[in-house]
Amino acid sequence: MKILVIVRQTPDTEAKIQANASGNGIETSDMKWILNPFDEFAVEEAVQIKEALGSELVILTVGPERSVEALRTALAMGGDSSIHIRDENFGDMDSFALAKVIASKIKSMGDVDLILAGKKWIDEESGQVVIQVAEELGIPQATLATRVAVDEGARKVKVQSEIEGGQRIVELAFPALITCERGLNEPRYASLPGIMKAKKKPLEEVLIDSINLEEIGLTQEGLGVGGSRMKVDNIDIPVITRSLNIIKGEKADTVEAEEVQKASENLAKLLREEAKIL
Amino acid sequence: MSEIWVLVDTSQDKIRNVTYEVLSAAAKLKEKNGATVAAVYVGHSGAGIEGDLSKYGADKIYKIENPSLKDFNPSSYAHVLSEVINKHNPDIILAGNTLQNQDFLPRVASRTSAGLTLDAIDIDISSSSTLQVKRYRYSGKSISTISYHDVKPMIATVRPNAFKAVENAGAGEAVNESIDVPADESLKILDTKIIPKERPELTEADKIVSGGRGMGDGDSFKLIYDIADSVGAAAGASRAAVDSGFVPYEMQVGQTGKVVSPNLYVAVGISGSVQHYAGMGSSKVIVAINKDPDAPIFQKCDYGICGDLFEVLPALTEEFKKLG
Repeated sequence: MKILVIVRQTPDTEAKIQANASGNGIETSDMKWILNPFDEFAVEEAVQIKEALGSELVILTVGPERSVEALRTALAMGGDSSIHIRDENFGDMDSFALAKVIASKIKSMGDVDLILAGKKWIDEESGQVVIQVAEELGIPQATLATRVAVDEGARKVKVQSEIEGGQRIVELAFPALITCERGLNEPRYASLPGIMKAKKKPLEEVLIDSINLEEIGLTQEGLGVGGSRMKVDNIDIPVITRSLNIIKGEKADTVEAEEVQKASENLAKLLREEAKIL
Repeated sequence: MSEIWVLVDTSQDKIRNVTYEVLSAAAKLKEKNGATVAAVYVGHSGAGIEGDLSKYGADKIYKIENPSLKDFNPSSYAHVLSEVINKHNPDIILAGNTLQNQDFLPRVASRTSAGLTLDAIDIDISSSSTLQVKRYRYSGKSISTISYHDVKPMIATVRPNAFKAVENAGAGEAVNESIDVPADESLKILDTKIIPKERPELTEADKIVSGGRGMGDGDSFKLIYDIADSVGAAAGASRAAVDSGFVPYEMQVGQTGKVVSPNLYVAVGISGSVQHYAGMGSSKVIVAINKDPDAPIFQKCDYGICGDLFEVLPALTEEFKKLG
């Protein structure tokens, strides 16, 4: 059985986001990059399946040169090999082009049974692309997985998912795609020996120029800003001025004894009369 | 005449409020381009939905009913909606940013060569009749304005609470469409469990009270539930509280939890990390209760009480109840 995990390199969750000079992208100099946090659940689940069933585990990403670090992290967690579809103008591709490029690579591999991915990419704040990969491949999907049980013999996988107001269990026939929710597992840390080993694991580099775009219904233009269906006009960093009206104690910083009652009355009054929210 | 479609979202066969909000968003676009606003129901039984939809501005109501659409299968729903789109060629399709819509609209976009943006917080039409949406990216850290280019239909999901549902009578002319649903052997639904919720959903709530590490343990969250219930709020938690095992992950608000934007967010015993703020920083009014005067949350809130949450919460709950 072959498992493939689609990963993405994203800015660190601590990172400060600023617009770049042209105003339609973010400033990436000095940016610290990490493996998308939700992808960790996908990699961990895949490693657990691999350990239980002796499967082969391939990690795939699309992105510029630096994205190789996200692949290495996933390899250090237990992936066997990786595929890096390299595109230095990566930010210009819209979700359709990205999905087509990823799907075409998976199609050409021909033998992937199970595809896992994080439920969303925290940079785009969306899980759209991987669902479009499933659509391009014509395979079923289960999103927001909180439990995954593979039946290799029957070539099926049972997935428990979060749905609106509850949860449900579906059974998908291979090949299938699953997106992973937090709570599915506890991702392991990449160990030092794991990190050392990762450097020696096979890494296939696919240059975007080497992909036959016409075959997958794309044009060279379609990969760049010019052909994008969706264009970011500008990025604003919202600055909400907060009034910082903090009620403190007379003697200490904290309200004590009868001050608690007074503070609560005051706050309720402010929320009703000033903020008009209660 | 060009049409703006609004997908009808239901929960246990009742129309969800977000549908009325999206109809109001569509009405705003209609003022600019004079399009017909059509509600589109895809499901197993949409009996009697016309009244409420026309009350919120639906000029037309497409109903695609089929017993095999009872359980949600993303491929089947994508097939059905794509067929109707190909038949009627709407310019714009709007829908609530529900889990179900996030699950199948990407497939619809691929099938119909549409443009798609999820989780819009504002929508407009430019002079060249292109749809323009604003949405958060990098969690709540940035707002991108995104426009569609030479693509039709232009599809967007809209974040709950981003628009106010406003009554506005529409003609509500019903159009029934019948679409075959091909059998799908690749996905079987084995079990669906709706868990009755005592409080509103975090992502749709108008008010939220969240507890953090300062709660100390899971039992103390009773104080959070009490104050939440006094004002009909949803209950949330910080990652620290979830990681400590106080409450389940579903309650987590933040960059790796739920991203919310209620009118009122009360952070109790939450220090206010960058990641937590990225998930709730767009809330209209933020209130902090914390005993640490140096907690970062006190630098990014509107109101706050510096004090012991175990003393403050009961007192504040009583005050909230009085406002009733």
